This record gives sequence, C-alpha cells and structure tokens, in this order.
Amino acid sequence: MPLAREADPKTEKPKKEKLHKMHRVGGWDIVIMIVLAVFALLTLYPFWYVIIGSFNEGQDYAFGSVWIIPRVFTLGNYVVVVKDQRLWYSLRNTVIITALVTLLSLTFTSLVAYAMSRRELRFKKFFQVFNLFTMFFGGGLIPYFLVIVMLGLYNNFLVYIVPSCYSVYNMIVISSFFRGIPEELRESMLLDGAGEYRIWFTIYLPLSTPVLATVGLWVATGAWNSYFTTMMYTMGQKELMTLQFFLMKLIKEANISTSDVSGDLLNQITPQTVSFAAMVLASIPIVMVYPFIQKYFSKGIMIGALKG
Amino acid sequence: MKQKAGTKKKKPFTRRDAALLSMVSISVIFLALFAYLPMFGIVLAFKDGDYKLNILDAILDAPWVGFDNFGSFLRDPNFLRVIRNTVCLNLLMLAIDFPMPIIFALLLNEVRIKPFRKSVQTIANLPHFISWIIFGGIVIALTDQSTGIMNPILEAFGLSSKENPVNLMDAQYFWVVIILTSIVKNTGWGSIVYLAAISSVDTTLYEAATIDGATRLQKAWYVTLPSIAPTITVFFLLNVSRLLSNSFDQFYAMQNVNNLEMSEVIATYSYKMGISQRRYSYTAALSFFNSIISVVLLLSANFISKKLTDRGIFG
Repeated sequence: MPLAREADPKTEKPKKEKLHKMHRVGGWDIVIMIVLAVFALLTLYPFWYVIIGSFNEGQDYAFGSVWIIPRVFTLGNYVVVVKDQRLWYSLRNTVIITALVTLLSLTFTSLVAYAMSRRELRFKKFFQVFNLFTMFFGGGLIPYFLVIVMLGLYNNFLVYIVPSCYSVYNMIVISSFFRGIPEELRESMLLDGAGEYRIWFTIYLPLSTPVLATVGLWVATGAWNSYFTTMMYTMGQKELMTLQFFLMKLIKEANISTSDVSGDLLNQITPQTVSFAAMVLASIPIVMVYPFIQKYFSKGIMIGALKG
Repeated sequence: MKQKAGTKKKKPFTRRDAALLSMVSISVIFLALFAYLPMFGIVLAFKDGDYKLNILDAILDAPWVGFDNFGSFLRDPNFLRVIRNTVCLNLLMLAIDFPMPIIFALLLNEVRIKPFRKSVQTIANLPHFISWIIFGGIVIALTDQSTGIMNPILEAFGLSSKENPVNLMDAQYFWVVIILTSIVKNTGWGSIVYLAAISSVDTTLYEAATIDGATRLQKAWYVTLPSIAPTITVFFLLNVSRLLSNSFDQFYAMQNVNNLEMSEVIATYSYKMGISQRRYSYTAALSFFNSIISVVLLLSANFISKKLTDRGIFG
C-alpha cells in the first residue's frame, strides 16, 4: 500500500527538458536570465564586500569606499583573530557540537522514523499524536529554561548536545522517505532472521543517502550557526563559547582581544575589519560543504515537505 | 496485505514489536523531557514569580495570582508596540517575501541553459548557510553611514546626501531592512520545494498546452502554477500560523538601541524580559498567550483552506 502512494518522486521524473530543447534561445530567455543574474550578483556582493574588507587595513577602511578590491592590503585582521584565544575555544566547541549533534540526531531521529514508518508498530496512533502535538504547542521560553536548569544542563556543555538529539520535523521527513523503500528488501532480510535494528542499519540507512544528507546538513548548519543557546543557557565564558557567539561579541560589542597583538599591528586594524576576518573564517566550513550536498536537496526534502 | 486496518486481531507480542517500541521510545524520552515537561512550567504564568533570584524559587514558592500576569502585559504599552511590530511585519513578509521563492522557482524553471541554472541556484542557496549574526553584521557594514556602499547608491538615486546620510539601521527603515534581508536569505532556499514540485508536473500537460498554442507565460500561469498550488497552500498555512513568531537570530543581530521602537518583536522581547530582567511569570504568561494564539491561527487557517480549496496542512 504505502509503496504505491509514496514512490512518486524517484520513478516519475521523465525528461521534461526534451520539450524545451527544441526551442531556441529567444528574447524571453535573455530577460529571465538577466533578472536571475542580477539577483545572483546582489546575493553574492555582500559576501564579496566582507572578504575584501577583511583584507584591508582597518584605518584605511574607515575612510570608506573599499567596495571592489582591497585598497591597502593586509593580513593583520586575520592575525588578530587567530591570536584571540576565544576563537580557538569556540572553534573547538563548535566543531565538537556540530559533529556530535549531527551524528546523534541522525541516529536517534532515523531510528524513531523507522519505527514510525512500520505499519505494525503498536500504539502507532498514540505515538503519532504524542510527536505531532509538540510541533504546534510548547511551553515557551521560560518554562523551557526552567527545565534546562532543573536537569542541571544550565552552563553545562551538554546543553548544546542533549536537547538537539531528536527532532519531530526531521523524523517526519525521514519517515516518509523510508516509506518509499520497497518492502521486498525488508522481507528478504526477514527470511535471514535479521532483527529490526539490523534491517534499519543495513537496508534503510544506506538506501536513504539523499534524505540523510539533507537532514544532516540542516542539523549541522543549525548547530554551526547557533548563538542563542550560548546566550540563553550558559554564562558565555570562553570554555563554553561557540563560534557564532564569539562573532556576536565582535560584531555587536566590538569586543576584540588585543592583549597578544603588537602595537605596530594594532595601528593597522579596527574592530570592524577584525570582525570581517572572523566572519570569513567562521563561514568557510559550511560554504565548502553545502554545494556538494546540494544535489540531494530536492530528492531529500521534497517528499518530506509535501507529505509533512 | 494480511489484515486491514480497522479489523485488528490481537496478535502475540513478539520481539519485533519490542524492538520497534524501543526505537520509538527514544522520541518519548526526548519529548517528555524537552517538550512536555516544560508545559508544566506554564503554571509560572499564574504565579507571581517575577524577579526571583532563582527560577526554581519562582515556580515552587511564589504565590498564585490568577490571570494578573496576562493583564499586566496586555496593559503594557511596550508590549502593544511589540505586538504591532510582530504582526505587521509578519503580514508584510507574508505579502512580499512569501511569493518570492515561487517566482524565483518559476523563473529558474524557464532557464534552459543548465550550467547557468545550477550556478544561480547555488549562489541563491548560499545566504541560507550563513548565520544571521554574520549576515546581519554584513548588512550593518553595508549600510554604515561613512564606510558602507548603501549611501552612495542611494545618493545616485537622489534618496540620500553626503551632508545628511541615511542610516538604514534607524527605526524608520528597520522594516524595509528586515524584508529585504529576508528575501536575500530565504528566496533560494525556499524555492527548492517549489522546484521539486515543478519537476514532478505531468509533462503531457505542457505538450497539450503547446499544441493549443499557449505561450510560455500562459503555460507557467495555467499549467505550472495550478500544479504546485497544493505545495503553496501548505507553506502558506504554515506561515500564517507563525504570525506571532520571528527569527530571534535575525532580529537580535540587527537590533540596536535606536531602532528598538520598530525592531522589538515577541521573540526578542521575551528574551529580554524573561532572561535578562528575570520577569519569569510575565514572560511565561506572554509565551503561553502566544502559543494559544498560534494554535488557533493554525487551526483556523487550516479550516478556511479546507473550506475554500479542499486542502489543508494535514492533507
């Protein structure tokens, strides 16, 4: 039953370009491409602006008009950021958090998704309601804060990990993908006497690369880009600092650390250009990864989003 | 299919059932702790727990005060401003930002040169992966009165002058900045679902339309758009239910003391009241009120949509 219902996106994706190919490029195409190109340039420019700013001397940047390429080139901004102890603490924390949260969240969420995709799951209706209800109603900020304090997670590294290990929305997305996996594969494993955990691990996970890559990237991006958790549930000391929180200190409070920086260098930089350098450094990892996972997006998201 | 739903026969409880239950119990544990347990904390909204040193004192020792907390925020002029910002901005974004990914997807779908399409898509996705704190920092730099590029551009259009430069981070421009930054950050990413929906439109429909002599605009309007209408409906309804929520990250990143008048929304206001000022009960009441309204909005949007189009979020 679920097979016929869910198998759509993969099977029925015929060559729709065939029709298009017969046309030649006309006036409309040019107009559309210009519109899109302008949009792309507008999107790209802000990032370019920050990159050139980060390579420009701070004092000189303050005169303005550094818009196309660096005017007075320097690596000083990067030197100051790299010498800031907080960068390394926050980088270490953020890498650990992102890796652990992504791994644990995919494991736990896909396990629940597997169980929820099985027709024979006992009390299925109850579990569905139990999960769905939380998507639409919650206690709110303060009651949640209260629970974090009660569980001893306040100002504790685990506050970054434990609450992020499971997500209902992602469970629904993964679960609907699982439902599209042919039942025959599972049945052949049943004959071999495999248990549910083994079937999940050896059949469902390997066949679900698109959705796991997509959801994994969501989770990783969320973990990498979050500063709210640090602000809310820690006291913001450097041992518990995250990358985005560190950036917030630089950007909103111009709070740069100059204790290890020589006076000579200090004359070349300003909090503004140093924060540019930090922004560039902090964005590199995610920007390097997402174009490669992009190809899975439409396959991975579509099913979940449409059914969810 | 051995058995049909509805005619369930009692089957013996097997190890397989136990395994599945053990899997699903993961969700029960996490949600019990981080979703259901906080719901009990809502009692704070009915107690006088403001300014307690420790939030645990607030919930254990504070006296009951009924609906006083609700009254105090509903009478608070700050709160009324916050509500205005939240609701008006969200309505504006629903009108201006929401259609953007759809238009973008329709345009992208018309592009026949694959490398061009791929590159535009990759670029358009980029902002989604950059945190709001960075993106906000960039916007602040771009709009800076002395060093940013925004003012010279505005000057070129006669909208600003060297003597009297426009500060886009000022209160009066804040909504414009929010709407524009949301477009840049979300359009590409939001279009993915619509592109996926477009790619599964039945191609015979296009062929039939071509035979009937439809222009490309007509095909987009009469074939593509109706075909992706269900997807649009679902996302529209979800957005309606978020009328009272904003991205904390986005607003906090671009707020400053000068624009609070227009930039304070429920998400940031709750943080400041609840965590910074420790007005635990006031904030709990506010969030509870917020949750109730959101649920009502979602259900009524769903109901109206079902009446009008036979489609709701739940299918």
